[in-house]
Parts: sequence; C-alpha cells; structure tokens
Amino acid sequence: MQRLLRSAALRKAAGALATLAGVSVFVFFMLRALPGDQISASLGTEAAGLTENQRLALEAYYGIDQSLPVQFFSWLGNLFQGDLGFSVRAQQPVLDLTIAALPVTFQLAVFSIILALGIGVPIGMLSASRVGKARDVLGQALSLLGLSIPAFLLATTLLTFFAVNFGFNPNGLGYKTFFEDPSVNLQQMLLPSLVLGFGISAPIIRTARAAVLEIRGQDFIRTARAKGVSTRRLQFRHILRNALIPIVTITGLQFGYLLGGAVVIEQIFSLPGVGRQVLVGIQQKEFALVQSTVLVIAASFVIINLLTDLLYRAIDPRVRAE
Amino acid sequence: MTQQNKWSARPVKAFALISVATLVLAGCAAAEEEETAAPTATQTEEPAAVGGNLVMGVTSDPDTIFPWKATQFQAFRMLENVYDTLTAFDADLNVVPALAESWEVSADGTAITFNLRDGVKFADGSDFDSGDVKYSYEAIQDEANAAVARSTLGGVTSIDTPDADTVVLNLATADVGLLANLTGTNLAIVSSDDTEETLSTTTNGTGPFMLESRTAGQNVILARNPNYWGDPTPLDTLEFRVLPDEAAIAAAMSAGNVQLAVFSDPITARTVAGGVTVNTTPQLGYHALMLNARNGVMTDKNLRLAISCSIDRQSVLDTALLGEGEVTGPITSPAFRSDPNARPCPERDLAKAAEYLAAAGSADGIEIDVMVPQGLYAGELEIAQAVAAQLAEANITMNLEVEERGTYIDRWIAGDFVAAIAQNGGRPDPDGMYGRYFPSTGNLNQVSGYSSDSMDKLFADGKVESDPAKRKEIYAAVSAELEDNAVWVWLFSGYSYTATSDTMTGFIPMTTGSWQYLRTTGLK
Amino acid sequence: MTQKTSVEARDRSIFGRLIRSWTGAPALFILVLLFSLAVLVNLEVIGFDPVAQTPADRLLAPNGTYWMGTDQFGRDIFSRVLSGVGSTGLISVVAVLIAAVFGTLIGLVGGFYRGVADLFGTGVTNILFAFPPLLLALTLASVMERNWFTVAIAIGIVYIPIFARVTRGPVLSLREIEFVKAAKSTGMSSFGIMFRHVLPNIYSIAIIQIALSLSWAVLTEAALSFLGLGAPPPAPSLGSMIYEARTLVLIAPWTLYAPGAVIVIFVASLNLLGDALRNILDPRSKEGH
Repeated sequence: MQRLLRSAALRKAAGALATLAGVSVFVFFMLRALPGDQISASLGTEAAGLTENQRLALEAYYGIDQSLPVQFFSWLGNLFQGDLGFSVRAQQPVLDLTIAALPVTFQLAVFSIILALGIGVPIGMLSASRVGKARDVLGQALSLLGLSIPAFLLATTLLTFFAVNFGFNPNGLGYKTFFEDPSVNLQQMLLPSLVLGFGISAPIIRTARAAVLEIRGQDFIRTARAKGVSTRRLQFRHILRNALIPIVTITGLQFGYLLGGAVVIEQIFSLPGVGRQVLVGIQQKEFALVQSTVLVIAASFVIINLLTDLLYRAIDPRVRAE
Repeated sequence: MTQQNKWSARPVKAFALISVATLVLAGCAAAEEEETAAPTATQTEEPAAVGGNLVMGVTSDPDTIFPWKATQFQAFRMLENVYDTLTAFDADLNVVPALAESWEVSADGTAITFNLRDGVKFADGSDFDSGDVKYSYEAIQDEANAAVARSTLGGVTSIDTPDADTVVLNLATADVGLLANLTGTNLAIVSSDDTEETLSTTTNGTGPFMLESRTAGQNVILARNPNYWGDPTPLDTLEFRVLPDEAAIAAAMSAGNVQLAVFSDPITARTVAGGVTVNTTPQLGYHALMLNARNGVMTDKNLRLAISCSIDRQSVLDTALLGEGEVTGPITSPAFRSDPNARPCPERDLAKAAEYLAAAGSADGIEIDVMVPQGLYAGELEIAQAVAAQLAEANITMNLEVEERGTYIDRWIAGDFVAAIAQNGGRPDPDGMYGRYFPSTGNLNQVSGYSSDSMDKLFADGKVESDPAKRKEIYAAVSAELEDNAVWVWLFSGYSYTATSDTMTGFIPMTTGSWQYLRTTGLK
Repeated sequence: MTQKTSVEARDRSIFGRLIRSWTGAPALFILVLLFSLAVLVNLEVIGFDPVAQTPADRLLAPNGTYWMGTDQFGRDIFSRVLSGVGSTGLISVVAVLIAAVFGTLIGLVGGFYRGVADLFGTGVTNILFAFPPLLLALTLASVMERNWFTVAIAIGIVYIPIFARVTRGPVLSLREIEFVKAAKSTGMSSFGIMFRHVLPNIYSIAIIQIALSLSWAVLTEAALSFLGLGAPPPAPSLGSMIYEARTLVLIAPWTLYAPGAVIVIFVASLNLLGDALRNILDPRSKEGH
C-alpha cells in the first residue's frame, strides 16, 4: 500500500515536472512570435535612427543577440541554478522582482478566498435550508450576479466612487507590504479582495448549496435526524464537514486562477503583483521576465493543485480509510 | 463652445509664474558670478514653504535611469532633474546657460568655446570640469554605447579642453542649432569616473535632485541634492509613483494622494475632483498623415496635393480631439512657426482636389492603404477615422491598416507604408526637428520618403546661418517646399494636460513636456 | 422540473424543454432579443452608425433620440453597445466552437485509443491548464496579428483543455461498455466506433460545457478589450467602452452603466441558459460552477 501511494505521488510529481517543462517551451516560443522586440519597445520610432553598430550593441545589451536555441538553453540552464534572468529595465534579477511580486498576489488571493468563503458558504447553506423559497432565490440571484458582473467593471466603479466621494484612496498611496504598514496594507487589499471575492463566491455558493442538498438526502443524515439530533448540530457537524470536500476542490481551483488571473485588478488598484509583472513584461517585450514569471505562476498553480489533492485526501474519510 | 472660458485666468497665472521663474534663474546666474564657492541662497523672490514631498503620478516606471539611453516620458521627467546639460531652455524656449555659463561661436561657426560654470560638483562630491564634458560627449558619439543622441553630435569632429573650465567643440561645418540641441537630457553630462554600469542603478548628476531609492514597478524617489550649484530646491523629495491606470491617477489626485500628473486626454484630466488646476499646454509634437513619396501611387505629387486639399483639418481636430489643439504647418516651435495658411489649399477645397485627382489620372476615385497605430497614443484611431471620412467625400477611399504598436513601429522605421497616421515629436530648433528626416543624408530619410536638391541646400544653409532673421526665412522656405509638394499632410498639434494640485506653487509646464521647474516647485 | 428517465428525456426535444423551463425561457428570450437588436443595428435598421461621430451631440444623457445617451465623441451609445454585443457574441461563439471541436477531439481520441495519443492529449491539456486563463489569453492575443478571428482563436485555445478533460472521462468508461465491445467484435473500424457510438453519448456533456464556456468567453473577451488587447477598433466592444468610461462616469454616468448593464444581462442570460441545459441534459450533475 505504501509503495503504491509513493509511486502515485512520484508519478504525479513527474507529471507536474513534465507539464512545467512543456509550459516553459510553449511560453518561450510564443513570446518570440510577438511583433517587435525590446529595442523597438523601448525606443519606439526613435529606433529608426539607429546605426547598424548601435543596434548590435543594443541587442547585446538586451541579451537578444544570440540564436534561439542558445537563448532557450542558457535561460533553462540558468533556471536550474536559481537564476531567473535579468530585467534590463528594472536593473534587477527577475528572481528578486518575482520574490517581491509573488507575496502581493498571494495575499490578494488569500484575502479574496477568505472573503469568498465567508460570503459563499453561509449563503449557500442558507439557500439550501429553504429550497425554492425567498432566501434560496436571493442566494441564487447573488450567485448569478457574482458570475455575471465583470471584475474590472466592479473594480473601476468602486475605485472612482470611493476616491471621489469619500476621499478613500489607499491604493493611491503607493503599495505598502503588511510588515511595512499593516493598516495601509489592509486598506489597500480591501476593495480588490472584495471585488475578487464577490466573483469567486458565486461558484462557492452553488457548490455549497448543491453539496448540502445532496448530503442532506443521504442515509446517515436521516438516521441522525431520526435519532433526534438537533438541526443546528446536524448542519455544523455533519453537513459542513462533508460539504467541505467539493468546496475545497473548487477553492483550490480558484486559488490557482487568482494567481495570474487577477492581472486586471492588480492593474486597476496599482498592486505590484505577478500578474502585472507579466503584463508589463509583454508590453515591454522583456522576454526573460515573462518566461520566468509565467513559469513561477504555473509552478505555484501545480503546487496548489497538489496541496488541494492532499487536503482532499485528508478530509475525505473514505479516502483516508484506504 | 464654452471652452473659451478656460483662457481667462491662465495667461495671468502663466505670466506670473514665468516672471518668478525667470527672476529666480537670473538670480542664480547673478549669484554665481559673485561667488564661485558652494551654492548660495538667492535674494530674489522666495518660493513657498521649504520642505515636503511631492507626489507625481505616472503610468509606468522609467525604462532606464541612465540618461544616454533614456527614451520614455517617465525617464526624462526624472532624469532632467538629476543631470544637467551644457545649455538649457527657459519657459519661453530660449537657450540659456546651464553647466556652461557662456559661450562664443567662432566666426565661421566651426568652433564653439564654452566657459563652464565654476564650483559645480556632482552629487557624490567630486568636482565637475571640462574633462567630464569631453568624456560624456565622446562616449555618446561612440556607437558601441548605443546612445540615443549620437547623431546630434555627428558633426563634432573633436573636443578640446584647454583648461578645466573651458571646452571647445570643433565642428565639420557650422551648426547653428547645436546649442539648442545640446539641451536634451540624452546629452547629459556625466562624471568621467562613472560608467554605464555604475549609473544603471544609481545616479550621479549635477542637477538639483538625486536618486534616493527606486522600487521597480512602484516608485522612484528623488531627494534634494545638497551639492547642487543652483538654488536649493524647496522640496525635500520628489516621488514618481507608478499607478498603471490613468483612472487610478485621477482617483488618487481627487483624494489628494497625488499632486501632479499629465493626462493624455482632457476629459480624464477634468474629471479630477477638487483643488486641481488643469494646465493646457500646446505641444511641439504634431499629428500628420505621413505620405511616402517614394512608394507606389504616392510618387505622384498630384495625388498628394489632392489628399492635402480634401482635408478640413479643423474639422478633424474638432471631431477626433474635441477641438483641443491647433492646426499647424510643418514647423511648430514658436520662434519658427509655419503659417498654417501658407499651403496650396488653406481651406478645404474639394473642387481643386478633384482637379488634382484628375491630373493624377484617378478622376473616378482611388483607394489608398493607410497604416494606423493602435495603443501608441491617444486619439490615433479617431483621427484616422475622421480623416477617412473627409477623404471619402473627395472620392479617395482610405483603407485603414490598424497595426499593433510593435508592428507599426517596425513598419514605420522601415518606411514600409504608402501612408501612415502618425504623431511625431517636435523640437524647438527646426534643424533638430527635421534635420534627420528631409535632408537626403538624414538617418530618418527612408521614413520621410522625400528628398530633393533644394531641400538639401536649404538645410545645409540653415545649419550655418547665424543671422536669426535670415535663418527664419530659410526654414520658411523649407516649410513652403514641404507644403507645396504635399510631402506629408500636417494636421495639428494637440495639447498636453498637466494637472497640478492647488497646494503646489512655482511649477511651470513647458511646451517641450519638460518638468524641469520641479526644482522651483514648493508646497503651500 | 420533473425528473424524467433518460430515455424519455431524449424523446422530448431539448429546445422544447428549454422553453418550458423556469430559467431557460427568459434567458433564451433575452439572448434572442439582444442578438436581434445587434443585427438590426448592424444593418442600420435602427439606431445610428456606431462609429459616426457627432461632436455637437457630445455627452448627452439618454433621451428620445439617443436611447442610451452619447459618449464624448457624440456617438450613440445604444448602437455601440448593441454592436459590441454582436461582435463579442461572434468572437465568443467562434472561440467556444474552436475549443469544443478541438477539445472534444483530443478527449475523444485520447480516451478511445489510449497509449501515445492519450499521453499527448493529456500532456497538452495539462500544459494549457497550468496557465491562468486570462494570462494565457492575453499572451496569445499579443502574439497574433490583431483581428476578431485571432482574438477568438486566443480565447478558444484557453478553453480547449476543459473540453478535453470533460469528454475524456466518459469516453474512457464508454469504451468498456458492452455495445462498444460488441461493435468491435463485428469488425467495425475503431474510427467508426468512435464516431458512431461513442461521440453521440458525450454529445450532451459537450453541449453543457459549451453553454458554460460561452459566459466565460464573453467575460474574457471583455477583459481583453478592457486591457486594449481585444479586437481592434473601430468595431466597438463592451470591454473597451467600459475602459473609456471609467473616468467619464463622474460626469456622464450612462457611458459606464449602459455597457455595464448590458454585459451583466448578457452574461447572466448565458449562465441561466447553461444552468437550464444542464438541468435538462444531466440532472444528476452536481457541478457547482
């Protein structure tokens, strides 16, 4: 049994590595297909005035003078030594930039998930408690709105509204990490996580509702009820724990998406996260930056999936019993 | 249009600010002549309270902090306050002393002797002398350094440093515009002890501010340079804060978190709530429909004239940019400004256009491909559409080739277009502005698509003519030839919208887009 | 909605049941309404030319002539919004069709033939899945020459893996089912079996996924245009209209709320349609998104 599990874990890990390898090749070649290069991205039309020698000097400066395979393998080789490349614009190693940016997106993702769970699970359960009645309809309507309102619409409206009408604009103060200034940091995370949380709460409401409904119909609940266990106890003890499984699954999925998918929110609220790092990298044609950052995002996603899997095994008694 | 009201208070304010600034600058120069030691406080107009931090909103961080490679707006705005050049512009675009206190041009114009300012130090405390100028200029000329302004110094054959306070530039031929062109931040003077490596992560300039810190993607903070040769700046620090979205900048200004920003369109600028003044400054840059006279159907001058005569420029301006701008001719700088009415069709003339079209052999109409950028500047597409609508009424069908930024730039550089909607930068000196485009030896001549012997002669004369009145005539002739041959269709210059918080004082926005007056800015 | 056995369910037309359902009917109605209006506007039967500028009528509040008001260039917002619905709709439909066709193909072929084909298919699926969707879409959109079709391709590629994954599972189990084995013993080619017997059975799963993906595709397209990476102008798009209105909202709120409301209604209808279809075709599904 132990050996089986270990080999399954190994297989999963190997699969994950293969996926990441595929991701890096894919991104590398996709970026090379972008029109223009870093020279025209930074110089614009001024690049017309470059002499041949100047252009060669700039190509060496930006590291785009070598052949594609050489660029790819030197990037890959550096990667294994922990060198993610160098950003000429920022004059910093990509690793440093990513280490600074990843926690921002992470914090945003975590807060959004917490809010989403905080909104979604109770509403889902409330909905399920009186199927078809007013609260159910309201809950489902809320879920529908969460799915249908584009995050960028909500974000831009809230940002402008609060700044102009209440002078509330913590995001205009320049990002502060939690350790630098906890009060400002939390304020800066407030609106963005509300917006993202609202969007993610929608599938959570539905999952919670469906899970509760399904479990309630199952035998062991009926038995507990027959034994006279109170509704409140039933809800929190049995239903919640069993409903956790699909909720955990979907939460894990959303977390992964948030890591890169929050790019528009990061843009609107001026949060220096990895999503924005990739966007700026694409606009400025900084290939090393984009390649390495995307790889980091993909790796995080893969790790989160693995963790969700483990959590899933830990919660689900049927799996644990194996 | 109710927009006329905006002019009432502005000239008065501008005049007041300019007078203060001029007096302060004059005071600087005056003080320096008396004392050659460390910078002193002037006895003239006092700016507002000393101290404080000013926050400026920008949409991205500078692409580099090394002045010779800088090309983007954010980089210039920061570097022009950290490094100095030999000469500078004042608010009226007159060339005034900076690191060079005075200069003499030899009789034949081939040698300029600069007398450098005394007692100037770099931020690290080292002394500034002629050796630094020679080092900087020679490095800029070296192709291996890929300095943006290499061609500006193209005519400089050698640089002499007879003593620590004097630099002589020897030129192949006279170059009257050179003094104006030396003001560019790309020609910043750097210490001979510094290299590109050392200056990529720190700064070491002679300017009023120096780099305090830089957080990629978030901000750049400049602090007052204690070794500055001029008046100490009222402000302690300047923060260039990166807020990637203009709406975010507007929101931050409304909440008082940002005090200064430039907006690309007037409406966003004007939605900033409370305590903010929007300064509308005419730009030197201009919008044009560039025609490639060497390509395909465009080689026929009659077709080009037909196009030029079919467009009501004011109408395009009103439609696409909400009337925010001025119709111009080729030269936009105030001292040499072209008369927009000095062209074959000062007003739209569809009858004449039809004649020209017939002469071009396309009496029944013609279709032309026009390259249009996307994501390069504000209003690009609206202008293209408005122009297309105008041309349609003259039987000329414009086929819009909308190209993404990178592709557009590549094609523009290669001159790979028949016609293109473009916004090009302008400079105060006409030779600086067009010297690369229209002379046949200019390094952008393949982009402009036009050259002629008369044009070459005019530019050569303009470079050496020292009499301002005669020089003006030469460039008027350049402008005339460009318009008479409809080399391009010059449309208009837009405005730039600088929003300043009412807590600021002493700031003057410039036509060149420069923020050099941050050195005289203070908070109330 | 009553529970019918799967046999009876297939006997009644999907469309008929959709019309009768609680959520399906209004959703269908709204979608049909939106698309009809979009077509009418594009044919210039109603509204104004979405691209025509009338500076004199700049920033007017909704009134009798301009039902949703005008923007800063004097363009009729009603026409622009509906034209945007049309273009977004077109891009999303094409994107989802691309995803459905290629994704289902991968899932079908991989699940049926196993071996190398499956390894390849799963590999591609995993690689594409490792990217956050919006990031992948914007990278792909930046790479290709910008027009509505390439944007559709970019979005389509992003959603291929979900179709592949969703169809592969059922195909794996269907392989083992008796009638497939029986067909094999009669000498029918694998290809034939795959298309004749297996495909029709995963058909309903694919339809549900198509309906669900449509709403995501619309949101992705809007986000791309908001970032300036969608279909190029002059075709108006809901995302870029919202982008332009983000500060205008302070002086002319209709410029934001009109496209905003329409996009919410559009996506909500697609979601309701997807829900209704799922309830009809797969009532046992407890999928929660």
